[in-house]
Amino acid sequence: MRTPVYSALAAGLVSFAVSGTAAAKSGGMPQLDVHSFAPQLVWLVIAFVALYLVMSRLAVPAISDTLAKRQAKIQGDLDAAEKANEDTRALVAAYEKRLADAREESRRLQRQQAEADSTVATARFNELAERLNGRIAEAEKRIAGQRDTVMAGLEQMAGEIAQSAYAKLAGQPADGAALGAKVATAVKGTSR
Amino acid sequence: MHSPMEQFEIKRLLDFKIGGLDASFTNSSLWMIIAVILATGVFVMGMRQRALVPGRLQSVAELGYEFIAGMVRDNVGDQGKKYFPFILTLFIFILFANVLGMVPYSFTPTSHIVVTFAMALFVFVGVTLIGLARHGLHFFSLFVPKGVPWVLLLLLVPIEIISYFIRPFSLSIRLFANMLAGHTMLKVFGGFVVMLGLIGGWAPLAFIVVFTGLELLIAFLQAYVFAILTCLYLNDAIHLHH
Repeated sequence: MRTPVYSALAAGLVSFAVSGTAAAKSGGMPQLDVHSFAPQLVWLVIAFVALYLVMSRLAVPAISDTLAKRQAKIQGDLDAAEKANEDTRALVAAYEKRLADAREESRRLQRQQAEADSTVATARFNELAERLNGRIAEAEKRIAGQRDTVMAGLEQMAGEIAQSAYAKLAGQPADGAALGAKVATAVKGTSR
Repeated sequence: MHSPMEQFEIKRLLDFKIGGLDASFTNSSLWMIIAVILATGVFVMGMRQRALVPGRLQSVAELGYEFIAGMVRDNVGDQGKKYFPFILTLFIFILFANVLGMVPYSFTPTSHIVVTFAMALFVFVGVTLIGLARHGLHFFSLFVPKGVPWVLLLLLVPIEIISYFIRPFSLSIRLFANMLAGHTMLKVFGGFVVMLGLIGGWAPLAFIVVFTGLELLIAFLQAYVFAILTCLYLNDAIHLHH
């Protein structure tokens, strides 16, 4: 099995060597055949110049034009996006400023309201206190009046008691005026 | 058993003579023209709509354009813009020729040293003329490395000169040898498949499958290398520094 493989390989190598020498005998490498140089060079020039003209006149302008257009489009889109982004940012800033202003305003109003409320309450409290004071004063006046009335009655009653007591004790009517003054002084002293 | 070299033979399809010049239409010419037509198809038909959102073919055209535009911008700078269409053409021509060469029964124009050498020589002469036109005699300062003691210059200047004049050879032989070696290798292993037959032929067949992928990579890579070296040579000529 292995021997035919090797022998075939050897045969191949030998035939390669033989054909190589045969090719060498029949003029060597085709690349060294001087007679083939002229047609190859002529057609190389024709093909290369044709391709150069196609490339430089048609392909390169078309491609560079397209690339420039695409670049301009992308740049334009990027600029527009950047601008839109900035607009959005400005809008957001304006919105936030208005929100902050509104918040500030609401706080101010709240404070104002609270102040107003406390003023009203104080005023009402004062009014109430005043009214109460008025009533207290009135009541005190009334009490003082009643007391004066009572005191006046008391003085008269004390005078009469003093006169009758004096008459009983002294057996003669009392000097009404002098006794009355003394009783009044005594009553005033106790009532104080 | 065909010789692995047979695939590189130039076959005259139509005989032409312009003056005394043999301008016969050969299989090489045919595949050059096919490459030009396909490249035109991608780059002109693909760009016909000039869509802002590109389709498939337009994306390919733009990809190729931007690939080489970036290469020229990075390696040569703004002064390289003038030469951009040439370098794009060079890259696309070599790329299409190389890749089309991978189609069975096709022909690879870039597998012939005369073709690659003509392109390399054109690049070399063109770059040298651009350098001379831009800098006059000062252009030759390219051969004198800066900040080197003069004793060393005696050694370095000849080396610089030799390496400069070797450029068209290295540039052309690199492309030609890669194409030649790859196609020969595929052909040899194809021969092994036939010889080893149903029993042992699978191993070289599997190798061919893998190697074809590698060859496609090399087809692209060599076009890239040719284009980027042209950019570097152009940069040397325009900016006079290494």
